[in-house]
Amino acid sequence: MNVWEHITTFFSVENYTLFVVSIGSGILCLAAGVVGTFTYLRKRALIGDVISHSVLPGVAIAFILTGVKNPLYFLLGAIISGLISIWIVDYVQTKSKLKPDSILALTLSVFFGIGVVLLTKIQHSGNAAQSGLDSFLFGKAASMSMLDVQLFSAIAIINVICIALFLRSFSIISFDENYAKGLGFNVRLIKGFLALLTVVTVAIGVQAVGVVLMAALLITPASGARFLTNSIRRMLIYSGIFGFASGIIGVFISYSGTGMPTGPWIVIVLSAFTLSAILLGKQRGVFARMKVRQNNHVKINNENVLKDIYKLADKGLKTITTKELIDKEKHQPKKLKSTLARLEKLDYVDLVRGMVILSDKGRIAAREVIRKHRLWEIYLSKYFQLDADHLHDDAEGIEHIITPEIEKYLIKLLERPETDPHQSEIPY
Amino acid sequence: MSANTIIEAHNLTVLYGRKPALWNVDFTLPEKEVIGIMGPNGSGKSTLLKSIMGVVQPTSGFTKVYDQELDTVRDRVSYVPQRQDIDWDFPASVWDVVSMGRFQKRGLFKKLTTEDKDIISESLEKANMLGFAKRQISQLSGGQQQRVFLARAIAQQGDLFLMDEPFAGVDIATEEMIVSLLKEMKDEGKTLVIVHHDLHTAQSYFDHLVLLNTRLVACGPTKDVFTDKFLTDTYGGKLTTIAKISQELENKEFPIRHK
Repeated sequence: MNVWEHITTFFSVENYTLFVVSIGSGILCLAAGVVGTFTYLRKRALIGDVISHSVLPGVAIAFILTGVKNPLYFLLGAIISGLISIWIVDYVQTKSKLKPDSILALTLSVFFGIGVVLLTKIQHSGNAAQSGLDSFLFGKAASMSMLDVQLFSAIAIINVICIALFLRSFSIISFDENYAKGLGFNVRLIKGFLALLTVVTVAIGVQAVGVVLMAALLITPASGARFLTNSIRRMLIYSGIFGFASGIIGVFISYSGTGMPTGPWIVIVLSAFTLSAILLGKQRGVFARMKVRQNNHVKINNENVLKDIYKLADKGLKTITTKELIDKEKHQPKKLKSTLARLEKLDYVDLVRGMVILSDKGRIAAREVIRKHRLWEIYLSKYFQLDADHLHDDAEGIEHIITPEIEKYLIKLLERPETDPHQSEIPY
Repeated sequence: MSANTIIEAHNLTVLYGRKPALWNVDFTLPEKEVIGIMGPNGSGKSTLLKSIMGVVQPTSGFTKVYDQELDTVRDRVSYVPQRQDIDWDFPASVWDVVSMGRFQKRGLFKKLTTEDKDIISESLEKANMLGFAKRQISQLSGGQQQRVFLARAIAQQGDLFLMDEPFAGVDIATEEMIVSLLKEMKDEGKTLVIVHHDLHTAQSYFDHLVLLNTRLVACGPTKDVFTDKFLTDTYGGKLTTIAKISQELENKEFPIRHK
C-alpha cells in the first residue's frame, strides 16, 4: 500500500474506530499541551514526571478495590494518588530543608515503586480481568475502546474550556505570585485548581501513552511553542496545535505499520515539531539567531572596508585602487571583492576598472564609523585610565555596536570633543 | 494611634522555620509622607512589606492599614514586589504586565474597559514607558523593568504604595525619574513606603525612617532617626548578637517563646 492509500483508508468511514481513536488522542495531547504550558512557565517541568509516575498506585488500588477494568474507576484512582503526590511535594518543601529536586525525585520513586509492587501483586493474583493493566507503564492507545476515547475526549475538552476561562488567573500566578497575593486573589485556590487540571490531564494521558512518556506530552509542546512566540495566548494555541497534530499523526503512523507502538510515535512526532520550532522560530530560533550573527558579520565587514577606503583615499576625496586596499590595509582579496560588490549595490561606492570611488552616501557612512570609534576611545581614556595604546583594539569592536542613541549620549557626556586621544579630528 | 496613622504594626513576628525574620516589631507610620525602611541584608525589610500585604502570614502579632484589616482597604494599597523575584523571560509585553494593575478592579474574568485602557496608558506615560508598551519584557533593561512595575502599581490607583527595593540595580536616569515621580505622588497626597539600602541617599529621599534589624531599632522622622547611634545600632555591632541568637534558635530548634 502506498502512503495515499494509507491515508484514504485511515480516514474512511469503515475505519470509524481508528478515526475516533486518532481524534481522541489528538484531543488528549491538545489538552496536555495547553495545561503543560503553565507547568512549563512555572518552571515545574519535573512535576509532570512526578504526577505521571504517581498515578500508578491509584490505578492499582482502584482495580484491587473494584476488581473490574473500568476506565472511570482508574481515572478516579489516578487523580487521587496524583493529587496526593503534589500535596506531598509542596508540604515537604515548606516543612523541610530538602532541596526541591531531591523532593521531586524521592516522591516519584516512592510512588512508582509502590505502584509497581501493587501491579505485580495483581498480576500474580490470577484475576482473569487483570491482563493489560501493565499497559499503564508504556501506554496502549491503539487498543483504546470507544468508551475510553469518548470519556477522555469529554474530559479533555472540559479541561481546555477551564483553561480558556481561567487564563488570567493562571497567567498572573505563573508570572508574579506575590503580586497576585497582594491584589487579594486567592492564590492557593487558583494553584490548587491548576494542579487539579494538570493531574486530571496526566491521569487520562497515562492510559494512552503510559507513565514514562506522559511528561513529554505535557512539557514538549510548550517548549517548542515558546520559540515561536512571545505571547502567552499564542503559546497556548501553538502548544495545543502541536499536541493535536502529534496525536493524530502518531496514531496514523502506528496504524500503518504492524505492531508499531502508538505512545512512543506520538512523542517522536511531538519532538519533531518542537525541534523544528527550536530551529525555525522567527525571533528565538537557532536559524534566526544564526542569521542575526551573519548580518552582524556583514555589517562589520562593510563598515571596516568603508572606513579603510575613506582613510586611504584622504577623506574619500582621492580615487584609490582595489590593489592599494589589499596591499596597504591587508584585506583578503576574495573577501574584499565580495564586500565591495555589496557596497556598490548599496550605492556606497562605485567600482570602475579596478578603481574604488566613495559616493557621498559612502563618505557619510565611513565618517560615522570613524566618529564612533574615536568617541569610544575618548570615553575609555576619560573614565577608565587606559593607556593610549590600549584604546584602539577595543574601539575596533565597539564602533560597530554603538547605536545612534548611545552616540548622542556619548557626545553629550564628553561635551562634543574635537579630537581623540591620538589627536585625530572627530568627523561630525 | 494618632489620626493620621496609615500603617500600624503590633508585636509583629514572622518566623521562617524557627528563625525569626521579624521579631516583635511595633511601629506606626504617618500618611502622606515618603517613608524609608532600611536595614542590613536579611534584616526583614522585604518580609515586613510582605506581611503588611498579606503575602506572608505573621506567626504572631498583626498589621493594620488605615486602622482596618488589610482586606477591607486592599483596593487603596499598591504593592511593588522585588524586581529580581520575577522571571522576566515570561511571554508577556509591557502592556500585559501593567494591565495586571487593573485586575483588582475588574476581577479575574471581566474584560478590561476603555477606561481601564486609558488608565494603563496614563500609568505607562507617568513611568516614561509608553513608547515601550508593545515591547517584550525580556528585552527590557533593569531600570525599564522597574518602571514597568511602578506603572503597574500606579494603574491600581491606590493611595498607599509599598515598594520593595525600587532603586536596586537601576541606572541613574531611572533613579532620578523614580525620585521625581515619588515627589509628584507625594504632592498628590499619596503615601510611599520604600525598602531601600543606600545610606547616602536616605536623608534626601525620606521624610520618615524605619530602621530594622530583625527587631525594630528606630522609627520616626528622618532628622531624629538618622543619627550615628541608631545607624550603628542597625548596621554595627549589635547585629551580630541578634544574628547569633537567631542562629541558635535555628540550629538547636529552640522555640522563640514559651507558653
